[in-house]
Formats: sequence, C-alpha cells, structure tokens
Amino acid sequence: MGVDGSYPYIVALWLLPLLGALVLWAFGPQMRRVAGWFGSGVVGLSFVLTVLSWSAGTQNAGGAVGAHQALGSWFAGFHFGLLLDPLSLLWALIITGVGCLIHVYSIGYMDGDGAFARFFAYMNFFVFAMLTLVLSDNFIGLLVGWGLVGLASYFLIGFWFFKPTAVAAARKAFVINVVGDVGIMLAIFLIVANVHSIGFGDAFAAAGSFSSTTLFAICLCLFIGAAAKSAQIPLHTWLPDAMEGPTPVSALIHAATMVTAGVYLIARCAPLWSHNSDAQLLVGTIGGLTAIVGAILGCAQWDIKRILAYSTMSQIGYMIMGVGVGAYEGGVAHFFTHAFFKAQLFLGAGLIIHALANEQDVRRMGGLVKKLPFAFVAMLTGVLAICGIPPFSGFFSKDQVIYGTLQHGHPWLYAVGIVTAGITAYYMCRLLFVTFLGEYRGDVDPSDLGIRHPELAGTPDVHDAHASHGHAPAWIMNVPVAILIVPTVFAGWLMFGGDNSPWARFFAAEFAPSSLPAPAISEGLTAIVALLVVLLGAAVAYVRYGTAAARAGAVARLRDESVRMPALLRNAFYFDAALDLIFVRASQALGTFFSRYVDPHAIDGAVHETAISAGWLGTLTRSFQTGLVRAYAFIIVLGAACFIAYYALVGGTH
Amino acid sequence: MTSSLLPVALGNYIALSAVLFFMGVVGVIVRRNPLVMLMSIELMFNAANLLFMAFARAWMNNAGHIFAFLVITVAAAEAAIGLAIVVAVFRTAKHVDVDDVAMLKG
Repeated sequence: MGVDGSYPYIVALWLLPLLGALVLWAFGPQMRRVAGWFGSGVVGLSFVLTVLSWSAGTQNAGGAVGAHQALGSWFAGFHFGLLLDPLSLLWALIITGVGCLIHVYSIGYMDGDGAFARFFAYMNFFVFAMLTLVLSDNFIGLLVGWGLVGLASYFLIGFWFFKPTAVAAARKAFVINVVGDVGIMLAIFLIVANVHSIGFGDAFAAAGSFSSTTLFAICLCLFIGAAAKSAQIPLHTWLPDAMEGPTPVSALIHAATMVTAGVYLIARCAPLWSHNSDAQLLVGTIGGLTAIVGAILGCAQWDIKRILAYSTMSQIGYMIMGVGVGAYEGGVAHFFTHAFFKAQLFLGAGLIIHALANEQDVRRMGGLVKKLPFAFVAMLTGVLAICGIPPFSGFFSKDQVIYGTLQHGHPWLYAVGIVTAGITAYYMCRLLFVTFLGEYRGDVDPSDLGIRHPELAGTPDVHDAHASHGHAPAWIMNVPVAILIVPTVFAGWLMFGGDNSPWARFFAAEFAPSSLPAPAISEGLTAIVALLVVLLGAAVAYVRYGTAAARAGAVARLRDESVRMPALLRNAFYFDAALDLIFVRASQALGTFFSRYVDPHAIDGAVHETAISAGWLGTLTRSFQTGLVRAYAFIIVLGAACFIAYYALVGGTH
Repeated sequence: MTSSLLPVALGNYIALSAVLFFMGVVGVIVRRNPLVMLMSIELMFNAANLLFMAFARAWMNNAGHIFAFLVITVAAAEAAIGLAIVVAVFRTAKHVDVDDVAMLKG
C-alpha cells in the first residue's frame, strides 16, 4: 500500500507535535503565556506540512495509493512505517487543522488556569498520538497510537484533578478504553497467527483467504476496540462523563478526532469487513442502535455539554452504521462534516460556559441571544448543520450514510437513520431554544427550575475572577469559531454530485466505487423524506420551547419536565447500572469469594500447615539433644555396634 | 596368610585390641570425670593402633604403619582440644563433671 519513498514532510508533521509536547513539558512553566502560542504554532506548522503532503498522499501509481515512508523493521513481517493515503490524509488534515483552531481557542479559554502550559503539553501530546494512530501502516503502530490517545484522553479528562468527579470520569474512560485496546490486541494476534505480518497491506491481501469464522473473529475483536473508543453501545458510558474535562478538550478529543478513531479503524480495515457480511450486519446494527439511543438520551439531558456528548455518540453511531454496512465514503464523509460542526458546537458551548462563570445547566441560561450574539450565530450554524438542513454540511453527509444503508440492503437501518434524524433535530433545537430564547434564568432560584442539587450541576469556578462573570469572550476565542463556521456551512458541497463529486474522486482509488443496484427509493426522495422528518422534529421543539407562550412559562415548564423525567431516561437506560452489575459487582463477588474461602484456607492454610509441621519436627528432634556427653558416647557406640553386627551377620560385599 | 613375621598368633593381637577397646568404651560411658574420659579415648585409639600394626606385620603392608602415625597425630590434636575444653569448663564451673555441662540441651 502506498508508493515507497522518502517523505521528510510526513515524518516532520508526525513528530512536530511530540517535540512541542516535550518542550512544553520541560520548559512550560517558564514560557508562561507563550506556551499557548507555541503549542498552537507547532500544530499549525504540522497542518501546513500536511497540506504540502497532499499531492504525495493522493498519488496513484499502478494501484499503490498514497505515500509510504519506511521507518524500520523488527523482524520478518514486522515492518514499521508511515502511510499517507487519502483516508489518513483526511484524518491528518482534521487532526492538525481543527486541532490548531482549538489550540488557539484554548489560549483564551484556559487563560488564568494554574496549569496553562501543562494543558498545551497534553494537547500537543494528544495530536502526536492521534497522528501515530492514523499514519501507521501496520496494526502494531495503530495499537500504539490507540493506547496513547487513550492516555492523552485520560490526562485531559482529569485535567482538573482537584475535582473528584473529573478523576472518576478519567479513570472510567481509561478503563473502558483499555477494554477496547485488548480487543485490538486479540485481533492482532489472530492476524499475525494467520498471515505472519502486521502490515495492513499483507493482512488485506489475505482477507479473502481467511475462513469466515476467523474473519468474523478478527472483525469482532477489532470492533470491540472501535466500540470502546467511539462510544458505541454498550461501551459508551464513559463519553458523557468525559465532559468533566475542559471544553476545548471535549471539542477536540471527545467530538472531532479521538472518538472517531473507531470509524477510521473500520474504514481502514474495509477489505476485512467487505469479505464478511455477518460482521457488517453486526457493526451496522450496533451503529444504528447507538445512533437512536444516543439521540433519545440527548433529549433528556440538562447539562449543555452532556447534550452535546450524547449527540456525539449518536452521530458516531451514524458513522459506524455507514462504514459498518459498507458505505465507507458516506461514513467517512459524516466524520468529516461532524468534525467541523461538532467542534463548533462545543466551542460555542464553551463561549457560553466561559461567559456565564462555568454554568453548564441549560435551565439556568435562557435569553442569551441578546447577551452573546456571536455564540448564538455559532450555535445556530452548528445546529442547522447537525440537523441536516440544506445547504449546511450535515445534510449531505448524513444523507450519504442513510442512503448508503438502503443501497447496501439494510432497510431497517435506513428507517432508524431517518427517525434518528428527526430526534436529533428535536433535541438540538431544544438546546438552542432553551439556551437562547426567553428570559435569562440565571437569577431564578434553582429549585424553581427543578434543579435538585445546584451545587452538583455545574463545574466549580476554576478560572480567575477576571476571566468569568459575564465578560464577553476575547477575540482569541471568537476567531477560531468564526473560521470553523466556513466549513460547517460549506464542507458538505464537496459531496454533492454523486460519483463525480470532489469527494468521490478523492476516495475513488481508496474505496472501489460501488456498483450496487439502485434501491426502490432514490437518493433525492431519501433527502426529501429525511428533511421532512427533521422539520417535524424541529417543529415539535419549537412548539414545546420556542413559541411566545412557551417562552413566557419557561420556568414552570422546565421544572415540570425535570421533575417528571422518567426514571428510565434519567438513568440513561440503566447502562451504567447494568455494567456495574455485570462487571463490577461480579468481580467484587469473585474477590469476596476468594478472600473469604480460597485465600485463608488454600493459600494461607498451606503456609500455616508448613510452619506447624516444621515446628512439630523440631520438637521431635530436640528431644534427642539431651546435652549429656556420655549419652552421646553411648549412642555412638550403639551405632558402631549395629554397624559391626550388620557386617558380622549379613557379611561384606566381597 | 603367612604369619612368619609375627612372634605370636594374629588372633591374640585382635583379642588384646578388643579388650583394650572395650575398656575404653566402658570408661567413656561410665566415668564422669572428663580427664578419665580423655584417657579412655586414648585407650581406644591405641587399641586401633595395635590392630593396624598387627595387620601390617601380618600382611606385609606398610599402609598400616602410616595409619598408625595418622591416628597418633589425630589423638594428640584431640587431646589438646579436649584438655582446652576441660580447662575452659573448669574456669566457669569450678568443678568438672560432664553431666553438668549440658547447657545445649534441646
């Protein structure tokens, strides 16, 4: 895979963020404010190098797509290298491009934080880890990147380590991600056992020769990894909790890049999935299920970041559904647009949170359109994009995914996709209306809004006083958001035009154009149906939260809704409780069993018995030690007598 | 077996040696005075020496002589250590009775 050669730009763009992280780790505290600009600059330079590598990454010489830079070998079959082909180029562009904007935004958002430089060191480290993941040309390198992004995510979720909730969330995310790492490791074992190589190219070339059971096992193990990283059911519970980290972290890691690593993995391993329809069905179903469950749970949240987290989970469900059923271009397209609009939604939410002194509960917002007009514009474009209103970007990519499921023969997933689009429109418009319309409710008594524990609702104030309390965000936070608005609105146009679109041509060599029979419902009709459902969802949200009457009685309505929230939704379908029961309680019970029965009786018992027998043996032999010299002499004589008697009676050997 | 070099029959030497040896054994076992015990041990050594010499003459083999010298050397060393112990015990206990020297009783 890839044209072999020497590509210094690719090596440089990969290692620059690592260099940045090391410098920031070593000299960060001395650099003070410069640390932020330095960290952003390094990622920006990496982005420039990625753009300069564009032509190398898209070259196509005799079926070898992209650029391949060899790095070294371990032993036969274990060759390491970097691969920049259209798929990894796309990811690298998003990681460094969106990453650079979020770095700049963080300079404003993290201003006044005691660990300013440490934040940027972690962020640079994350960019390096993510680039390792997507640029690797083999499974081992991918796993290394996979583990390192998990580590970076752990660092950044627990960045405010004085908050017990943040520490717990970081630990939870790490543990669940390690479950995924183990899945990938098992898949690598299976691949190496069968093809004796860790390279993508070797594994994919042999994909057709695997037995279907082996291939399904490999795909299943890989998907465990993808599900843990990309928050798919049932391994999604860490993502809403991960919102404990600073908002730029949520935007970069838990929305735009890291959580889409599962989509990358499945798109990268497309040849494996294409050979096994069982694996495709499994992944597509889990993706669809995650999409609709995430959307439903998004309707029941009050924390602005948790709404966005469930929406992320739901949107990744779409992507996984797309790449799962074989609509790789569609799934990857949705990753592309989602990276922009979700980053923008998170950064917009960050503007609000920053301006309201870390208030995250939408019930205590309201009327912000007058207070924060720019944040309103940012959120509005993001919401229109995620809902899939033409001509915003989400319309095109979501349409590709939904239509792709039908094309590949999964009408049920098609229906799920359409319904989820409607629910998405509902909860995103709900977020928009509750936050920006009506009167400001920050002065209302929290209990009147149905907030039971106001002290637990938001994030404690961790910024300097000057950076909070209604201050308008500095330009440094507005500029990245303003830049992101452009792709949020227009990125989708790249996918317009079917097989001749720039998007399709970009991926033509990567994913073979599908020559599937046209389904009964055309793509245009799909778009119209989806749009109608979306408008219906938005209309319901408008009637409930947007009309003049609803705005006037917002306080009473929000209280009613909070109090009457069904327990099923309040507990997020009891996924946490179920995982707790199956894994945590079960292992606790096992531990109790061992500590109560096996340990004291088998392990300690064996040790105690050894000690007791040694003591008993000592008592026995001690009784011979009389201390009487004459007794010893007598025993010696007796022994000698026995000796002689033996030879006298039995005889010698000769 | 030629016995031309022995002025008396070999059996007599063996009998004498056995008598001497058992005198030594009984001395060690029944007497409580360490000096007498040491002398009894010497008696046993010399019983063994007598046998070595007798068989050396009887079988025309000089190895017996050499072993006799070895035994004399060991006996001298043993007597030196034994007497040293007796002196050390006497200094602490002011009387010497081997049955009282039983501090290492288990």
